[in-house]
Amino acid sequence: MQRAFSGAHRAESRMDPQLTSQIVPAEEIKVIEECLVRLAEDTGGNYVLLLDKSGQVITAQGDAARQDITALGALIAGTFASSREVAKLLREKDFRQLFTQGVRENIFISLIEDQWILCIIFNKGTHIGLVKVLTKKATDDLSVVLERVREQQKARDDVLGSSFRTSMEDTIDLLFRD
Amino acid sequence: MALINVAAREIHCKIVYYGPGMSGKTSNLQYIHSQVPKEAKGELLSIATETERTLFFDFLPLDLGKVRGFQTRFHLYTVPGQVLYERTRVAVLSGADGVVFVADSQKHKLEENIRSLRELAVNITRQNKRFQDFPVVLQYNKRDVPGALPVATLDKYLNTLGWQRFEATATSGAGVFDTLKAISKLVISKL
Repeated sequence: MQRAFSGAHRAESRMDPQLTSQIVPAEEIKVIEECLVRLAEDTGGNYVLLLDKSGQVITAQGDAARQDITALGALIAGTFASSREVAKLLREKDFRQLFTQGVRENIFISLIEDQWILCIIFNKGTHIGLVKVLTKKATDDLSVVLERVREQQKARDDVLGSSFRTSMEDTIDLLFRD
Repeated sequence: MALINVAAREIHCKIVYYGPGMSGKTSNLQYIHSQVPKEAKGELLSIATETERTLFFDFLPLDLGKVRGFQTRFHLYTVPGQVLYERTRVAVLSGADGVVFVADSQKHKLEENIRSLRELAVNITRQNKRFQDFPVVLQYNKRDVPGALPVATLDKYLNTLGWQRFEATATSGAGVFDTLKAISKLVISKL
């Protein structure tokens, strides 16, 4: 039987290096929050959230009583990633938007530059046409923010010093045990 | 790609349990969920078929609490292992910061392990990440099964890249936390 990887695979090294962490500075979070609040207010939507494509919630605005935002983020990002694979099978580049219609609430999801996912939850009182138009505008605004986030790396060293990593290892040892 | 929210002082990392069907990926998450203190975990979410096979993913959020003022969260996912769900695995891997490859130690599963590991390499490479540098920890699961392949044999076929590897019996919990600790530390070291 052949081994999982031959020498040829190990020698392969022309890919981009490992992507680094994405750090969203406080001032950019503020800009994002303003954008989400505006979108919720202008559409009458109940809840707006911005996710990373890995399913992590960057920030959310609206109905404070909403539970399980973490699981919601994981599922929405999973749905989007799944739709991207469907797009490939259909030889589409990707599906930029998804609309899910419920009995009480609807969800409209829009992709921002292949990295972030903007999601708005709204009820029957809001027209989908309005949501589409205003989400497009919000998506454009957030692309500019994303561009700035990608460019800045300065804050990284402030957060991830060596003492941070040591503390993290101690915490992992303490928590992850039988 | 890990996400660091400076305003909310939060760090999020995504770890995916990958491997062939029935190798014990969901069992790993179930054991972790049963042992971690209540305040440090969310609900274990499983999207499974009627026969309890994973259809899309299992999801377990873990909250490590504050580390140097930053709330740190690990999100654990499993992929569906069956061959049929290859594209679904690609979807779940999206944005992963590290992978635990759960191999089945049984002799007749060796080829499936190899195939699954190769597929993982292809999928990570397609995300424009260099597979040799990507954080991976290997778990040889089902060590309790009679006739399990010797570790040296599994190493020879699966661990040619020299990853950290752990023997485990996920259903009883042996080796589960050693694996989780190793991948968590590896992911943090690459942030």
